[in-house]
Amino acid sequence: MITTPVKLWRRQKNVSAVIGKTGEILQWTIIRTPPRAFVQEAPYPVVVVSLAGGKKMVGQLVDWNQEDLIKGRKVVAVLRKLFPSDAESVIAYIIKFKPL
Amino acid sequence: MTGIVSYGTYIPRYRIKLFDIANVWQKVPEEIIRGFRVSEKAVAGIDEDSVTMGIEAGKRAFDLVNLGPTKIGSVYFGSESHPYAVNPSSSIVAEFLGVGNDYFAADLEFACKAATAGIQLTTGFIDSKKINYGLVIGSDTAQGKPHDALEYTASSIATAYILGGKKTEIIAQILAMTSFTSDTPDFWRRDGARYPSHFGRFTGEPAYFTHVVSAGKKLLTQSKMSPSDFDYCVFHMPNGKFPRIAAKKLGFTDEQLAPSLTVEKIGNPYSASSLLGLAAVLDIAKPGQKIFFVSYGSGAGSDGFIFKTTPQIKKIQKKIVPVWQQIENKTYIDYTKYLRQTHTI
Amino acid sequence: MKVNVLGIGTTKFGELWNSSPRSLAREAMNEALSDAKKKASQIDALFVGNMLADLLGNQANLGSLFAESLGVSVPAFHIEGACASGGLALHAAVNGILSGQYKTVMVLGVEKMTDCQPDEITSGLMAAGTDEERLAGATFPGIYALMAQAYMQKYDISEELLASVSVKNHYHGSFNSKAQFQKPFSIEQIMKSTKVADPLKLLECSPVSDGAAAVVVSSTNGNSKSVSIVASEVGTDTLGLADRESFTTLNSVVSAAKRAYKKAKINPDDIDVAEVHDCFSIAEVLAVEDLGFAKRGMGARDIAEGKFTLGTGKMIVNPSGGLKACGHPVGATGIKQIAEIVTQLRGSADKRQVKNAKIGLTHNVGGSGAVAAIHILKK
Repeated sequence: MITTPVKLWRRQKNVSAVIGKTGEILQWTIIRTPPRAFVQEAPYPVVVVSLAGGKKMVGQLVDWNQEDLIKGRKVVAVLRKLFPSDAESVIAYIIKFKPL
Repeated sequence: MTGIVSYGTYIPRYRIKLFDIANVWQKVPEEIIRGFRVSEKAVAGIDEDSVTMGIEAGKRAFDLVNLGPTKIGSVYFGSESHPYAVNPSSSIVAEFLGVGNDYFAADLEFACKAATAGIQLTTGFIDSKKINYGLVIGSDTAQGKPHDALEYTASSIATAYILGGKKTEIIAQILAMTSFTSDTPDFWRRDGARYPSHFGRFTGEPAYFTHVVSAGKKLLTQSKMSPSDFDYCVFHMPNGKFPRIAAKKLGFTDEQLAPSLTVEKIGNPYSASSLLGLAAVLDIAKPGQKIFFVSYGSGAGSDGFIFKTTPQIKKIQKKIVPVWQQIENKTYIDYTKYLRQTHTI
Repeated sequence: MKVNVLGIGTTKFGELWNSSPRSLAREAMNEALSDAKKKASQIDALFVGNMLADLLGNQANLGSLFAESLGVSVPAFHIEGACASGGLALHAAVNGILSGQYKTVMVLGVEKMTDCQPDEITSGLMAAGTDEERLAGATFPGIYALMAQAYMQKYDISEELLASVSVKNHYHGSFNSKAQFQKPFSIEQIMKSTKVADPLKLLECSPVSDGAAAVVVSSTNGNSKSVSIVASEVGTDTLGLADRESFTTLNSVVSAAKRAYKKAKINPDDIDVAEVHDCFSIAEVLAVEDLGFAKRGMGARDIAEGKFTLGTGKMIVNPSGGLKACGHPVGATGIKQIAEIVTQLRGSADKRQVKNAKIGLTHNVGGSGAVAAIHILKK
C-alpha cells in the first residue's frame, strides 16, 4: 500500500486531480472483515464508481446511509485521511466517495 | 483597498446532542443545555481531520470566484489540531488545492484566534503589494476530554477566506484592524497532551471578556464609530452565553448578533468559530453594510476587524453553499459512535 | 514431445498447526516421488508455486529453499501469480520440458497461512490487487462480491442460486479424506452464515488453509498410471476490477481456455471433469460460463439444477470439493487441481469418481482474474 512519504508525494498530483470529480455508483458491497489498516472504520461500503469522463475507480463510500447503496447513485470524490497505525508514520490522504 | 474576495465553509454531517452526552455522565440534560446555551455540536467523520476539512472549505472558496489557485501568494493555516506537530498543514492544503510553488506559507497557532491572526498577516502582504491574493484557513477537529466541560462544546469545522487588493473583486473591505494581547493562561494544551486543559471560571472575566471587550473598544475608538453604526456583530463563540454577554457589554443588540450565532447548533470549532459566524453574515449581508468582528484566542488575545460589504457581494451570494443550509444538513450519532469518530476508542 | 504426469502427492489441507512449509513440502514431494516410482536424484529441476511466504513470512528465495527439502541442488524456481501460482509453476515446468532442457521435473505448490492472523492474511492477499483497491479498504471477498452483484443484476439471479455452488462443493468434499471440510452443508446453513462482504456469506468463501501438493512431470513415458498434459495456457487481464469492461467474465480465462481447447484439438463439451477456481461461489459461476460449460447467464442455474454434481450431472465440476471444501492454501491449489484430475483420469477417485473420465481440465485464477492458467489432461 502507498504509505511511504516518497510514494505519497509522487502520486499527489494524480490524487489532487480527482478531488471534486463527480460520478455514479456502478456496484457496491459492504466490507465486514477488513484488512488491518481499516479495522477502525468497519463495516464500510466499497464502491465501483464511473466518473464523469468515463474512467472507473474503486473507493470507500463515506457519510452514507443504506439508501445510498444503489446502482446509479451520484457521488463526489473527496479527500480523507487514512489513519496511521502508529504515532510516527507519515499520514496518507486518499480519495474516497461521498453521496451527493 | 484590502478585503475578502471569497470564502468557503465546511461543516461535517454528523451531530451529537448535548442531551445524549449529559445522560452518559448522569447530568441533568436541561441544565447543561441551558448553561451552555448550546443544544448540539458538529462531529467530524472518522477519516476527517483539519486538513481534509480545510481542503473542502478551500475548494468552496475557489469555486465561488474565477480565480486560478496559482494566483494565491500566501497560505496561512490556523488550528489547534494540526495533524502534525511538525509538517505544515498549509502546504499540504495548498498542494491539494493546486496553489503551485510560489507562495508564502506557515502554520499558525494561537488557540481559537490562529486564523484571524492569519488574516492580519495576509492584509500586511496585500497592503504592501507583495502579493495579489492570500488564502487563510481556520480549521479544527476540536477535542474535549470525556466528562470535562469542553466535551459539550468542542466541535469540528473548517473555514477558508481568500483576501485580495482589487476594488472590483472585494466583497467585504477591511476598514479597521486591531488586537489586544496579553499572557493570560486560561486554556492551554501541553505538547504531546491529547486534550486541552482550562481553568474553569478564569476563562470568563479575566480572559474572554477582558480581551474581547478591550479589542472591541479599541476598534470603536480607532474608527470613531459607535455600535449603532453597525448592521452586524460577530464574536468568537465558545458557548451560547459568552458572545451574547460580550455584545451587550460593548453596546450591541440581539438583532445585530443573531445572524452570526452559529454556536447553538454546531458548538465551538475553535479556530473556525468566529470565522464561521462571519461567513453566516456574509451569506445574507446586503451591499454597503458594516460588520463588527472580534475573535478570541486563549493564552490570550483578541483580533478585531471592521468589514464593509460591497456591491460585489451579491454576485457571490448566488453561488454559495450557505452556512445555515449546512447546519441543517445533519445526521445524529450516539455517544458510542462519537467515541469511535473522535478516536477515543 | 508429450508431457506426462508420472506421479502426484497432496497433504491434507486445513489448519495444520504442527506443519511447517518445509514439512508440508517434503510430505507432498515424497508422496509424488513414490507415486511416480522415482528418486529425488532423478529430478532435473524444481518449480515452486507460492504467494505469501515472502509477504507474510519475510522468506524469499523459495526455489533454493524447497530444493533443500527435496534434497538435491537442482535448478529451482519460484513462480508467483497470486492464487494461480501453482498453475503458473506447472506451466513453467511444462515449458522447461518442451524446451528440451529438463526431462523430469518436480512441481510443488505450497502455502502456510495459519501462522498469521486473519486480518494480516486479508491484507497479504490484497497484494494480488491494485493500490487503488487496497486504499479503498477492499478485500478479495469484497472484490468478488462486486462481481457477484453485477452478475445477479445482469441475469436476475438470487443469492440462493449463487449459494448452490457451496452446497455442491461441500457435498463433493464429503467424499474427500484430504479436504479441510468433509461435512455437507444445506442451502439454509449457507444462507444463514454471516455476511463477509455483501452479498457473499461466510460459507460462500473458501477458507484460510495450510497445505501442499506436488506432481512429477516428465517427457519420458510413464506407466499405465500416467496422464498427459495436452495443453497448458496462461492468460492475463487488467490487474484491477475497475479497469475491466465487464465484471461478469474473466478475459484471462476466456483467452487461455480458447488457446487450450485449440491446442488440445477439443471443444468444451469434450471435457468430462473439471477442477475450477471457486475461491467464492460467484467464481465458479463465472468459470463454467467462461470455460464454455454453460451459456452466458445460465451458469448459476445449471449448477443449482445439479448439471455438474456427482450423481446427477454428466460433466462434473470440482469433484474434489473445490477450494470451498478442500480449502485454499493459495499456492498449492493449482497443483492440487492437477492431482485431482490425474486421480480421476486414472479411475482411482473412489467415491468421487466421475464415470469414464478421459479428458479433464483445470482452471486456476490469480487475484480477481488478473491471471489464469488452464491445463487440459488426457489419459
